[in-house]
Amino acid sequence: MLKTLGRKWREKIEFGIFTLPVLICIAVAFYIPFAMTVRYSMTKWNGISKNPVFVGLDNFKQIFTGDTNFADSAWFTVKYAVLYIVLVNVLAILLAVVLDMKLKTTPWLRAAFFIPYILSLVIVGFIWKFIFMQGFNSLGESTGWSVFALSWLGTPGLAFISILLVSIWQSIGFYLVIYIAGLQSVPEDLKEAATVDGAGPMRKFFSITLPLLAPSITISVFMALTNSIKVFDVILSLTGGGPGGTTYSIAYDIYRDTFQNNLYGYGTAKALILFLAVLVVTILQLAFFKRREVEA
Amino acid sequence: MNKNNNKTGRIVVEVVMVLLSLLFLYPLFLTILNSFKSFSEVMTDVIALPKHLVFSNYSYVWQFINYPKLFMNNLVITVIGLLGIVFVSSIAAYKLARTKNRLSGIFYFLCIMPMLIPFQSIMLTVLQIAKKIGLSESTWGLGLLYWGFGAPLAVFIYHGFVKGIPLEIDESATIDGASGFRLFFSVIFPLLKSVTTTIVIIDVMWIWNDFLLPLLMVNGSPDTKTLTLAAYTFVGQYTSDWQYAMTAMVMAVLPSIVVFIFLQKYIVKGVVAGAVKG
Repeated sequence: MLKTLGRKWREKIEFGIFTLPVLICIAVAFYIPFAMTVRYSMTKWNGISKNPVFVGLDNFKQIFTGDTNFADSAWFTVKYAVLYIVLVNVLAILLAVVLDMKLKTTPWLRAAFFIPYILSLVIVGFIWKFIFMQGFNSLGESTGWSVFALSWLGTPGLAFISILLVSIWQSIGFYLVIYIAGLQSVPEDLKEAATVDGAGPMRKFFSITLPLLAPSITISVFMALTNSIKVFDVILSLTGGGPGGTTYSIAYDIYRDTFQNNLYGYGTAKALILFLAVLVVTILQLAFFKRREVEA
Repeated sequence: MNKNNNKTGRIVVEVVMVLLSLLFLYPLFLTILNSFKSFSEVMTDVIALPKHLVFSNYSYVWQFINYPKLFMNNLVITVIGLLGIVFVSSIAAYKLARTKNRLSGIFYFLCIMPMLIPFQSIMLTVLQIAKKIGLSESTWGLGLLYWGFGAPLAVFIYHGFVKGIPLEIDESATIDGASGFRLFFSVIFPLLKSVTTTIVIIDVMWIWNDFLLPLLMVNGSPDTKTLTLAAYTFVGQYTSDWQYAMTAMVMAVLPSIVVFIFLQKYIVKGVVAGAVKG
């Protein structure tokens, strides 16, 4: 009796020793800051004064009624996320299908498309800033093409496209390797059987390859969504929110409010809204794709 | 006839794809190219080859940003972060996967739930806490913080993998007299090698290149800066001296590219495995 009691206690202590370190680390990194975020979101505070002033839900009211910065950046983020998710996945699938043809150069191609993904996004932004500003100048002079004469970072609509292109350029390799792995798990004999049955390449792609890629698509869309909704680094170094403040994302807007305008309380309220948006979108998406996959 | 057609078709596809990949990498090529040019050459023609290679850009930037120091900072942050993430996450995931009760379930949920919290939602308060407990403005402090930020994904991946290891292995080790940490590190941890590799690859790429957290935590002094941060401030100061800016870019990304060339196969595999499991 005593012995089993002793063993039970020992097991409990061991459970604690193994699991508490990680929980403490996670609490310090996430739960405590999160609780503080919730608290500050209901205050007016500049980050310096000792006592934040409690204002209830005023911050939220102001965000939703009188903050054009927030509305603009939210709209920017939604537009960006939708286009990014669609384009990066469609392009990656197309590339993956070509690379899956077992070309002699496939290993080189895969590596080439993957390289930007290992680079820091801030640096990628700077490299492209250089290309758009200086590089396009020289390319324009030597080719005479008018595409290069456009101000890719200085015109609102074009700056948006530039950010989109650079993000896709940086990350397409990641989605590409996921789709290549997905394609490799599509059984060869299925494709052959379809060819024997007289299905053309288009038909084969849409009725066999694409449905069997569903798990890879779920993962990729999920990743693309979580990344695009938080877009920040690349904008910071590429356009800095310009021209005329047209390329602020939600994450950048939060950064601007808290660290540049010293609106700590107000910024955290926005941060909390971003969290809720991510939460809702993630849950909806997981539920949607889970259903789809079962049906397929 | 058909077969012949197919063959020429393949060659055409191959050539087109190689050209496309070269075009894709052209911005990186231009970056490297211009890091070897003088100021006037960058300004007159970006795409032309340098008339003679200018190496002084490199010695200038190397000294100006104190490259060896920055490199060491990156290394310290990444290594401390990595060791901690692997250690605390693997032991916890193992115990949580092996213990079947309500508390264990709740703990597991608490571990993986933060994957849904975007960093920007908490960056402000993280910084405050870090300042309060003395982790800010130091490389090892930043490394320690990564333990918590990296743990949710690592626990999730380890947990899924431990479930696939038969319980008999634990039992026979217990009979042999091993228990607790000894059982874990001599028997279980070696079996986790493939997932550990995956986690190491994903986390190295993330921590080495991370920007926002280091910007808030260690940007105050040149002694604690990371490579990416230094490149960021450097470009801010030298907005028109593109030749220096491009040199700083090359120096910041070169370590990643060199590592990638040598470990390409593992990196791609690790990234895919991490995504599929995560």
